[in-house]
Amino acid sequence: MNKKQKKIITLTGIFALTFGIVPNVSAMHIMEGYLPGAYCIAWGVLCIPFLAAGFMSIKKTLNEHRNLITLLAMSGAFVFVISSLKIPSVTGSCSHMTGTGLGAILFGPSAVSILGLIVLIFQAILLAHGGLTTIGANTFSMAIAGPFVTWGIFKICRKCKVNKMVSVFLAAALGDLFTYCVTAVQMALAHHADTTVFGAMGKFLLVFAPTQIPLAIVEGILTVLIVMGLENYAKPELRAVGFIREEK
Amino acid sequence: MITIDKLCYNSGLRYENAGEKFAFSMFTLILCVMSRSMIIACIVLAVMGILTVWKGRIPLFRYLHFLCIPLAFLFLSTAAIMVHVKREPLDLFALPIGSWYITGSLYGLMYALQLILTALAAVSCLYFLSMNTPMPDILMVLDRLHCPKLLIELMMLIYRFIFILLDTAYYISTAQECRMGNRNYRTSLKSFASMCSVLMIRAVKRSNALYASMEARCYDGTIRVLSEDHPPKKKVIVLIAVFELFLFALFIWRRFFA
Repeated sequence: MNKKQKKIITLTGIFALTFGIVPNVSAMHIMEGYLPGAYCIAWGVLCIPFLAAGFMSIKKTLNEHRNLITLLAMSGAFVFVISSLKIPSVTGSCSHMTGTGLGAILFGPSAVSILGLIVLIFQAILLAHGGLTTIGANTFSMAIAGPFVTWGIFKICRKCKVNKMVSVFLAAALGDLFTYCVTAVQMALAHHADTTVFGAMGKFLLVFAPTQIPLAIVEGILTVLIVMGLENYAKPELRAVGFIREEK
Repeated sequence: MITIDKLCYNSGLRYENAGEKFAFSMFTLILCVMSRSMIIACIVLAVMGILTVWKGRIPLFRYLHFLCIPLAFLFLSTAAIMVHVKREPLDLFALPIGSWYITGSLYGLMYALQLILTALAAVSCLYFLSMNTPMPDILMVLDRLHCPKLLIELMMLIYRFIFILLDTAYYISTAQECRMGNRNYRTSLKSFASMCSVLMIRAVKRSNALYASMEARCYDGTIRVLSEDHPPKKKVIVLIAVFELFLFALFIWRRFFA
């Protein structure tokens, strides 16, 4: 280890000790009013094609099987509830799952994009996580980028005959990490007061690393345990949910 | 279980016209985010705070507590904006560590201050909406604004299901607590996961039962709910318009003439 690396590690350590005890670490929602207007609009516009695709596919599924609407709504509520529950954490701070990774594995990424948008609106209004002007940016990182990566990794791992539990873990944890990187990029693009974009990005990544990396690992483990539980006890229910996904 | 939801049903402004509240908070929010000026942020923070606590009768300490929720995010990200690790010190402060400095500039400080104020003001706008307007009313406004029907319907269903699932989750976690489900970190992870999977099973079962009961009551694709109508008051509309125009004028003045 050279001198610079040592310094970086000490710094992260200091940050971890200072901020490891913050009362509420939610899964990196960009807060209300944090992004300038132009960025809010740009990220919102970037989401529209994905949301439109998700909307169309949901609409098609529902036109064929009207009875799936309650299941879809229950799935949305499920994602909201698991993302609002406190997960057990090592430091004693209270942190939350993203939930969209599990959602993507269970329901497929296109349904999750719409459900994720709705969940984010509810989180902003009912729980004060995230905000209405930053909804575009948050939707992009949490309901589009994360779930698509999760879904992609899951599919690739399954293709390569990796053990199912390992692939679920990798998919959920890496999807979570990707969400966190996208958020850092979004904030760095908007706020690089007196450095370059990349410098700012590095700093955002560094500052949130102590809370986000353990969170991603815990989320991976939890997702594996949840999927395992469902496989054991809920084969018929999984088939019903898979129905939403297969229709795409 | 969701405090904001409870608060907004008891708010003093609950029976005001939902469209008025929605327009007021949205326009103010947009002006506040677009202008990013400290004066506007301070005015908005004060006006929204006073309206929510005095007119909305939200307990002051509750309100302050909610304002503190986003502080963790705010501190971390502002630290990332302000603090640099560089070889040469900047003008505001510099802590030498070996040949490097932990340092910050005056410009960075002003930038961060402006950001914090804007963000807090924006959050106060969001709270004005969410603490005084129940969710069904907001959905009604979105419906009037021609949001896609499917989206509104899904949101309405999801809003209702959230409480059912939260209740179930609460009972399960109490039962787990009684049976030493959170004895150590390992068990608590395991019980959290098993709670989630049971929750999922319950959710699917409930959704089937719900659909059956909706079919039995002639569900044909639209859910019709009676909405209470509280017509908008002229006086309030004029006041809102005057306030927004004032903010807009201030914004223009600060941007182009000051």
